[in-house]
Amino acid sequence: MRGDVRSRRVVVVPDVVVNPPDGASDRPSDVALCGWGVVALPPSDLPADIAQPLVTAAVDQVIAFLDGGYEVALLPCADDPGMHRFVAALAASGRTVADLA
Amino acid sequence: MRTVCYLAHCLLNANAKVDEGARCQGVHSPVLALLRDHGCTIRQMPCPELAFGGTRRFWAVREQYDTPAYRAHCRRLAEPVAAQMRADLAAGARVIVIGIDGSPSMGVELTAASDEWGGRPDKPRDEDYPVTLGAGLFTEALLDLLSGVVLGVRVVGIGQDLFDYDEAAELAKLDAMLGGAAGDAG
Repeated sequence: MRGDVRSRRVVVVPDVVVNPPDGASDRPSDVALCGWGVVALPPSDLPADIAQPLVTAAVDQVIAFLDGGYEVALLPCADDPGMHRFVAALAASGRTVADLA
Repeated sequence: MRTVCYLAHCLLNANAKVDEGARCQGVHSPVLALLRDHGCTIRQMPCPELAFGGTRRFWAVREQYDTPAYRAHCRRLAEPVAAQMRADLAAGARVIVIGIDGSPSMGVELTAASDEWGGRPDKPRDEDYPVTLGAGLFTEALLDLLSGVVLGVRVVGIGQDLFDYDEAAELAKLDAMLGGAAGDAG
C-alpha cells in the first residue's frame, strides 16, 4: 500500500482567500507549502438560502476532523462575513476553533 | 468568459481522503497551480463521505454507500452546490466540475463498485480495488439536480483514487478541458 502523507492539519479560510483579488497574495499556495489542507467557505455574497447549507456542511466537516483528532485552525479574517457566519454556526454546535498562529 | 471550477473537497484538503488514501499533505498544489494559470474561480464542494463516515473510514465501494440515507445526504449537500452552479451559469460563467475518478462518491467516469466487496478491511485498496465505469453517488445526485442546465456544465475526474494514477496525464486532461476542450456532462 502506498504511504498516506496527510498532514492532519486543516485550516478554514474564507472565499476571498481562495479567490484573491488581483495583486493579492495567494494564501492557499502559502498554506499548501506548510502542508495544511483547506476548508473553503462559500462566498460571503451568496444568498442565505444557498450559503447557510454550505456553511452547515463546512461545520460538519470540521467537527469530523476535530473528532478524528486533527488540528483545525481558522485563518484570521475578522472582517469577513462568511467567516463570522461559520464561527457562529460552529459555536452553535458547541465547538470552537482557534485562529492560525 | 469567467471559468468557475467546482473541486472535489480533497483536491484542496487531502486530509478528507479515506484512510491511507492521501497522496499529498493537504492542498494538491499542481491542480491549484493549473487553475491559477487559467485564471479560474475556485469553489470547493463538500466531501460527502467525510461528514458521513468520519476520518477513519476505509476504502468502500458504491454498494456500501448506496443506501437511502446516504443518497439523501448526498442530495442535501449537492442542492446548494447546484444552486450556486445555476447562478454562475446564469451570470455567463463557464462551469467545470472536477471530481475524483475511482471514488464511490466523487467519481466522474470511473467509480468503484462490487457486489462482493465488504466486511473486514483486510485487503489493501491498491491490490484489487474494483474500479468500474460510472459516476459516484454524489456526482450522480449533483448532475440530477442540474437537469435542464447540465449540458452547460463540464465534468472531469482526476484519477487520484486509481492505482495507476498518472499525475502528468491527469493534469494534461484537466489543462485541455480548462483550455476549452470537450467534456460536457451530457
